Amino acid sequence: MASTVASEYSNEVKNVPIEHQFNPYSDNGGTILGIAGEDFAVIAGDTRNTTDYSINSRYQPKVFDCGDNILFSANGFSADGDALVKRFQNSLKWYHFDHNDKKLSLKSAARNIQHLLYGKRFFPYYVHTIIAGLDEEGKGAVFSFDPVGSYERSQCIAGGAGASIIMPFLDNQVDFKNQYVPGSHGTERRKAQYLTVDEVIKLVRDAFTSATERHIHVGDGLEILIATKDGVRTEYFPLKRD
Amino acid sequence: MAGLSFDNYQRNQYLTCSTNTKAQATSTGTTIVGVKYDGGVVIAADTRSTQGPIVANKNCAKLHKMAPKIWCAGAGTAADTEEVTKLIGSNLELHSLYTSREPRVVAALQMLKQHLFKYQGHVGAYLIVAGVDPTGAHLFSIHAHGSTDVGYYQSLGSGSLAAMAVLESKWKQGLTREEAIELAADAIEAGIWNDLGSGSNVDVCVMEIGKDAQYLRNYRTPNVREPKQQSYKFARGTTGILSERVLDICQVEEQTVDIELEA
Amino acid sequence: MNHDPFQWGRPSDAHYGNYNKKIAEASPYPKMNTQQPIVTGTSVISMKYDNGVIIAADNLGSYGSLLRFNDIERLFPVGKNTVVGISGDISDMQHLEYLLEDIQTENNYDNQYANEEEALKPSYVFEYLSNVMYNRRSKMNPLWNAIIVAGIEDGKPFLSYVNLLGVTYSSPSLATGFGAHLALPLLRKVVDDESDVEKTSIESAKAAIIESMKVLFYRDARSSRKYSLAIVDKDEGLIFEKGLQVENMAWGFAKDIRGYGTQKV
Repeated sequence: MASTVASEYSNEVKNVPIEHQFNPYSDNGGTILGIAGEDFAVIAGDTRNTTDYSINSRYQPKVFDCGDNILFSANGFSADGDALVKRFQNSLKWYHFDHNDKKLSLKSAARNIQHLLYGKRFFPYYVHTIIAGLDEEGKGAVFSFDPVGSYERSQCIAGGAGASIIMPFLDNQVDFKNQYVPGSHGTERRKAQYLTVDEVIKLVRDAFTSATERHIHVGDGLEILIATKDGVRTEYFPLKRD
Repeated sequence: MAGLSFDNYQRNQYLTCSTNTKAQATSTGTTIVGVKYDGGVVIAADTRSTQGPIVANKNCAKLHKMAPKIWCAGAGTAADTEEVTKLIGSNLELHSLYTSREPRVVAALQMLKQHLFKYQGHVGAYLIVAGVDPTGAHLFSIHAHGSTDVGYYQSLGSGSLAAMAVLESKWKQGLTREEAIELAADAIEAGIWNDLGSGSNVDVCVMEIGKDAQYLRNYRTPNVREPKQQSYKFARGTTGILSERVLDICQVEEQTVDIELEA
Repeated sequence: MNHDPFQWGRPSDAHYGNYNKKIAEASPYPKMNTQQPIVTGTSVISMKYDNGVIIAADNLGSYGSLLRFNDIERLFPVGKNTVVGISGDISDMQHLEYLLEDIQTENNYDNQYANEEEALKPSYVFEYLSNVMYNRRSKMNPLWNAIIVAGIEDGKPFLSYVNLLGVTYSSPSLATGFGAHLALPLLRKVVDDESDVEKTSIESAKAAIIESMKVLFYRDARSSRKYSLAIVDKDEGLIFEKGLQVENMAWGFAKDIRGYGTQKV
């Protein structure tokens, strides 16, 4: 196949052959977010799976409870996401075998995932990964990873198709970014404070209904996994299906 | 000079290559349909317009009036469908005035296809033209390169396959007005639910022989948003005022007239 | 000493003359395995109903736009409660067929429980196929197919999809290729949600599948009139219907259409 490419001097149009090659990746849409509270953490994800302009499934969960109070989601190319989840679950199983069923701490899980991702540095898992749970002090914790394993802990993060729509909303409503104490004339920032589970669920629902309105790859259903010291709980809310 | 200007063509071509960006037009995803019935024709459209994966407009109007009884549903580049419809609509009115006759759908069809063919597909308008005129009810579809098609039912846009699936399985000869409207709206809904380029509401236009065209804007609204979980009203002063300056932009003159004195 | 690492460990030029670099250098095309489908099969469509699953695929093997083979079976029973439907490249499909036969042989050999508690379940077959597909894509040597695995597992309908990229998903109705655009909108009218499955009878499900095969034959230029349909029912077991034909087509309107615009005769 050949295609017409214009050079810097446009009259000098070249006919360059374009190599056709198998593309091992695809974009399966969807979006996820993680929020850490004082004694809990959540990961929420929509349940729509897409390719191009088609809906593959209206209910294909992508947030998982991996055990040891660890929530896990890898959003992007869903085959890689599923492979990564399976690899992590397997790694966790071996950790239990090798260390007498010792509980894997969230920060160790994060480091393990970094190695899983970086291990494929030159053929990456095409996913934005978020894990959540409780840290060693029992405080809510969220870690997020780029496709090749760079990671950091944060209070809240969004990933996937609707991330750029949801993240500014989270910055404003969870970290109170750009909010000042009334009367201080923009000198005193609104003080950070932990949100309750109910407040977080409300924020998550509004974030996802809004992303559904404006992003075509987001919709169908919302699944929220909540990790507390008492274990993991799941909530489901329908989203618009258009 | 008549026609469209291609002055920026070379510049855009250069920009595309050197900056890896492209000026992109709104809306390629759409579902539009047309259905004929005994005594008239109906067209329908969804109301979502997109820029890539982002919804640009949740309730846009894709049904255009070209003449009082000739309407057109547009898919493809939003600006092109809008402009070509307006241009040919104007010419159609001039032609109707000149000939002292009601405009005909075949005239609209011929003018649209000749215009689109001239621009070799660069005017990205994909249209379903329908209407009633002294020769009866008509339904056509036109592609951006200028080819046309006739049929009892038509669908176009990214949701055309979903819509056509419904039309192929539900269409029958001798539909009534109501049946045709429901079939067209059902076909659009198939696009709304199954095609990500289509969404929100259903617009319908019914053109019946011997009657005025009936434009049914938002005939179905199956996608009303649920109320939000909480209010996001900020306390006054949350955005700090760092400095304040008031500009006199327009000159204001005041004159007080004492009515009693004047009397 | 020559400090150029490229020269290390090989006969010195001084003694043996210039080294023939072609021996060490790889060919410009080291390995060719990126491919394109040659003979292809079009859509596979499927849906769940209250008591099982239905899956259908036509019998055509296309060679580009040539209707090359017209008696190709693309539905493969695996054991008593699984059917695998395959679209895409036919040679890769036949390789998958071989792999499926192989796992059945492996499972049945010297196994007295092979027909009962150790029979292959749809989810096992699907897990195996999805791993094959993902591993092949990861070697940049994909099997050019989209596959639907349908069956009954633990008394419940099972339906899953996997393609050449290893992308997998499940839904109450699934279709590959053109079917995803033309048939799914019709199938979803019947089962849009998992909760619709138990409200759907075998009759209405079969009617929807047959109607979808008709629409696909109308509108998919790479489809054929002849097709096969398989049902896995909880009570009736596996029902395989071959040599079916698209019926009840509507062509009555065609005689009244003239030309493409203004033509009258």
